[in-house]
Amino acid sequence: MALSEVFQTTFFLTLLSLRTYQSEVLAEHLPLTPVSLNVSSNSAHQSLHLQWTVQNLLYHQELKMVFQIQISRIETSNVIWVGNYSTTVKWNQVLHWSWESELPLECATHFVRIKSAVDDARFHEPNFWSNWSSWEEVNVQDSLGQDILFVFPKDKLVEEGANVTICYVSRNIQNNVSCYWEGKQIYGEQLDPHVSVFHLSSVPFIRKTGADVYCEVSQGSVSKGIKGIVLFVSKVLEEPKDFSCETQDFKTLHCTWDPGVDTALGWSKQPSQSYTLFESFSGEKKLCTHKNWCNWQITQDSQETYNLTLIAENYLRKRSVNILFNLTHRVYPMNPFSVNFENVNATNAKMTWKVHSMKKDFTYLCQIELYGEGKMMQYNVSIKVNGEYFLSELEPATEYMAQVRCADASHFRKWSQWSGQNFTTLEAAPSEAPDVWRNVNSEPGSHIVTLFWKPLSKWHAKGKILFYNVVVENLDKLSRPELHSVPAPAKITKLTLDQRSYRIWVTASNSVGTSPASVIVISADPENQEVEEERIADTEGGFSLSWKPQPGDVVGYVVDWCDHPQYTLCDLQWKNVGPNATSTVISTDAFRPGVRYNFRIYGLSTKRIACLLEKKTGYSQELAPSDNPHVLVDKLTSHSFTLSWKYYSTESQPGFIQGYHVYLKSKARQCHPRFEKAILSDGSECCKYKIDNPEEKALIVDNLKPKSFYEFFVTPFTSAGEGPNATFTKVTTPDEHSSMLIYILLPMFFCFLLIMIVCYLKSQWIKETCYPDIPDPYKSSILSLIKFKEKPHLTIMNVSDCIPDAIEVVSKPEGTKIQFRKSLTETELTKPNYLYLLPTEKNYSGPGPFICFENLTYNQAASDSGSCGHVPVPLKLPPSQLGLMISPENVQKALEKNYMNSLGEISAGETSLNYVSQLALPMSGDKDSLPTNPVEPPHCSEYKRQMAVPLCLASPSPTENTSLSSITLLNPGEHYH
Amino acid sequence: MLACLCTVLWHLPAVPALNRTGDLGPGPSIQKTYDLTRYLEHQLRSLAGTYLNYLGPPFNEPDFNPPRLGAETLPRATVDLEVWRSLNDKLRLTQNYEAYSHLLCYLRGLNRQAATAELRRSLAHFCTSLQGLLGSIAGVMAALGYPLPQPLPGTEPTWTPGPAHSDFLQKMDDFWLLKELQTWLWRSAKDFNRLKKKMQPPAAAVTVHLGAHGF
Repeated sequence: MALSEVFQTTFFLTLLSLRTYQSEVLAEHLPLTPVSLNVSSNSAHQSLHLQWTVQNLLYHQELKMVFQIQISRIETSNVIWVGNYSTTVKWNQVLHWSWESELPLECATHFVRIKSAVDDARFHEPNFWSNWSSWEEVNVQDSLGQDILFVFPKDKLVEEGANVTICYVSRNIQNNVSCYWEGKQIYGEQLDPHVSVFHLSSVPFIRKTGADVYCEVSQGSVSKGIKGIVLFVSKVLEEPKDFSCETQDFKTLHCTWDPGVDTALGWSKQPSQSYTLFESFSGEKKLCTHKNWCNWQITQDSQETYNLTLIAENYLRKRSVNILFNLTHRVYPMNPFSVNFENVNATNAKMTWKVHSMKKDFTYLCQIELYGEGKMMQYNVSIKVNGEYFLSELEPATEYMAQVRCADASHFRKWSQWSGQNFTTLEAAPSEAPDVWRNVNSEPGSHIVTLFWKPLSKWHAKGKILFYNVVVENLDKLSRPELHSVPAPAKITKLTLDQRSYRIWVTASNSVGTSPASVIVISADPENQEVEEERIADTEGGFSLSWKPQPGDVVGYVVDWCDHPQYTLCDLQWKNVGPNATSTVISTDAFRPGVRYNFRIYGLSTKRIACLLEKKTGYSQELAPSDNPHVLVDKLTSHSFTLSWKYYSTESQPGFIQGYHVYLKSKARQCHPRFEKAILSDGSECCKYKIDNPEEKALIVDNLKPKSFYEFFVTPFTSAGEGPNATFTKVTTPDEHSSMLIYILLPMFFCFLLIMIVCYLKSQWIKETCYPDIPDPYKSSILSLIKFKEKPHLTIMNVSDCIPDAIEVVSKPEGTKIQFRKSLTETELTKPNYLYLLPTEKNYSGPGPFICFENLTYNQAASDSGSCGHVPVPLKLPPSQLGLMISPENVQKALEKNYMNSLGEISAGETSLNYVSQLALPMSGDKDSLPTNPVEPPHCSEYKRQMAVPLCLASPSPTENTSLSSITLLNPGEHYH
Repeated sequence: MLACLCTVLWHLPAVPALNRTGDLGPGPSIQKTYDLTRYLEHQLRSLAGTYLNYLGPPFNEPDFNPPRLGAETLPRATVDLEVWRSLNDKLRLTQNYEAYSHLLCYLRGLNRQAATAELRRSLAHFCTSLQGLLGSIAGVMAALGYPLPQPLPGTEPTWTPGPAHSDFLQKMDDFWLLKELQTWLWRSAKDFNRLKKKMQPPAAAVTVHLGAHGF
């Protein structure tokens, strides 16, 4: 039995060793040759697919083998690729291998052969390659069809930057083929007479609809057709960036990433890249529907660690990113909600909020931010579910905004979003007295007190100030204090007080209470205005003021000024300074260059009485004068003149006037004494005189030449410069001799005047001496008597009634004195003119002989009526005057009054020549009817001679109106009018 | 474009033929069809520019005029002048109707594959307008008493996106589709103008007609 077992064992071992030996021998000696090589092509992928088996493998034998593959193009000898392929080969296994060609397979015939060798470690013998298989030919061209032209590869999809080889196959070599890439012709190499190849290197992305390569077949100039391909160039798929996942509720992981460029192409050639989430611990996978976020459902409560991979994929490439994390470290809490404020008062409030429930024992760390009054306060608090925080030290009547956010207290990762709410604290009583100042204007019997106060700051007002209380208490007389309530936001009130001392309290009130009072006392004595004003200059930071301390106890000093002194409402400002200070700096943005600011410094006594200590005035920046003075020239002589500008105001200038510059131009090259040479802005030379005293507003310019031309210009100057440029005023000095003439002529004139006065005073004596009076026979009383008897009804003769028909020379005495009437131009044309030659006897009262000329010739009304001008018009007098004229006395009086002045004296007896009218004189003794009867306008009469007639014939006829003429005494030149 | 349509529609009532009441004959509908054809010509100019730019070179090049290879299924608008003149109204209208039926179908296929939303909107708008033109032609044919052509079974044009058709050829088809559409619209405008003039009764004849009624 044992022997048989030993035998069996020995047999099996022998058999096994034999078997092993046999296989080794077979492997070593029987060549393992690849057989049944089959090559197929895939035009779309431009690949050759090889499949083969290995001959001589034992049953169930596995060997590592290496296969060498050779690929030739066009002909077998043109090997274009050689490569090895190693794999483990099993018995009867069909092996597959692919090779991608850069050249489209349709463009050339390819040949493939293969050989193999054992590459197993169990064989120590050197490897022996098997023999090559026979060449397998791959020719796709034969299956193309009968078209005249083909372009390959068809609609290829490549990545940006790839190299692409394109070829065309032309059936007819006679045809001319031109190929274009994006509109530009490309040139390639000819593989054979039918095939040409083009290499496009590093193709760019052009558009989603692809870039076209097309070839045009033509015979001569005739196009036979176009064939082309669309080369779809995809952008390179990018790796997703910023991939992260977090949870807000331990139920869902929200993962986000930046996808980068979209690699989608048109014509459905390539869709947008897809994104997939893969979790390695659970092995779960999820295809994401959005390109930049994806939600992952947390299914197992026990899983705390996650290994998530995000895979981005398109047709050409796959990219992935991976994160490994603990779920509890990726908590991003949801926003707190129901934020409220409870028990809000003036300074405190309680803030409450809620948070979403998470896992058991989850603790939130919450952060509170409180915004108010331009400040931000931050508080942190840990809570479970409901949060609350007591906000203290708040400001009254202030709007606050409080917001809260929370995070995982155990593993802080990220704050939630803020949740906030506004609230306003309640008001409190104002905490400080208003800052009050006053301005007192003393008027006879009263003080006009204007009270100013500054609004309380929000800090001190502690609410909305509703009104200000002004209480006025008379200190000199026991009386009930007066209360004035001024509604806010007024900052000023005016009080009219008598000239007694008053104490004024000012308080501010809001809805809760009243502030402490500000006290000011108005003294009965008028304010001391006799304080000398001192000039100050602005320093860099403002006006630096200093003053002598007020003797006695002071509670402080007040400096007041106007921000806008040029306006009526000058915006009074004041500054309180402590009792120990004797200087301060007034600085404000309101100060403007060229504006004069006046500062008053008051000392406040312990009784709250303000006492004016000092006055200061200055400019924040002095400017040059804005205008020049209006200069008057007087005392102009041949050698000098005086310039004066006394009305020029130095106070209203944008700087302190320091003096004046007087510029003088003359033809002389040398400047006058006291003047110095100066160059003007236009380059011209002139002489300049400087007046350093601003109040000296006159200048005598002397040492001038007579009859010379001078130009001057006066301009003030400040520390900033002179006034504006203006034109020079011209002055010409008079001739030197003209003044001498005045010296001669004036005395002569006075001498002449003296002689004239003497002559006038002694005129009677001179007259009697040189020209004694000639007696007038008509003035003889005898003559009067005779005439009275002959013509008792002596009337005024109307010369116009005379019709001269003869001239009778009566006598021609020497020394005839006739004073002609005034010329016609001097007479008043609108009224009939009566010229009377009256007796010289003043006391004559009865009717007597006299000559009366009624000048009706030059009546304006008559000429206007269309007549020819010599038309007498009726005398039109007011009835009252008419009535007076009716009686001879009245007539005479009136005539004397109205006309004697113009006529002077004339004596009837002196008439040496009488002109007698050639027309018949209608005689009438009715004197009453003369001036009243109307006279009809005559027929046209161009000219009527006028003659002097003897007095006997001078009898007017009031009724005759058909032919009127006048008698007048004419100058030789007065015949025509 | 919308403004242009509005203008055309606004002026439609101003056409005297359209203001007549009662049985007005085919005149108004011919005028309306003519106006719509001109509007579509204008609309196509804008659309073709956008679409050819979308295709890229060489299709958007102004002098690109390839020999017509492929696109054989598109109805050809080009026809010999003599042949065209020899056609009667019914035949012309029938050809128009059939051509636009086919073109509309291909155009809808174009719309489906357009990549940009803006282009899809423009194409959809044009399709709607073209559908309106088809309705107008049908109206004219009905007014003239011509039957509408019935599509033969199996000859219904379909748009088939397929791998069999290369993308370049597809682009070429799109190019030819737009070109044929342009030619057809030009030809239709001529047709409807000619028909419009033909359908207008001569003024003298109307006078005689009224005179006869008077007696």
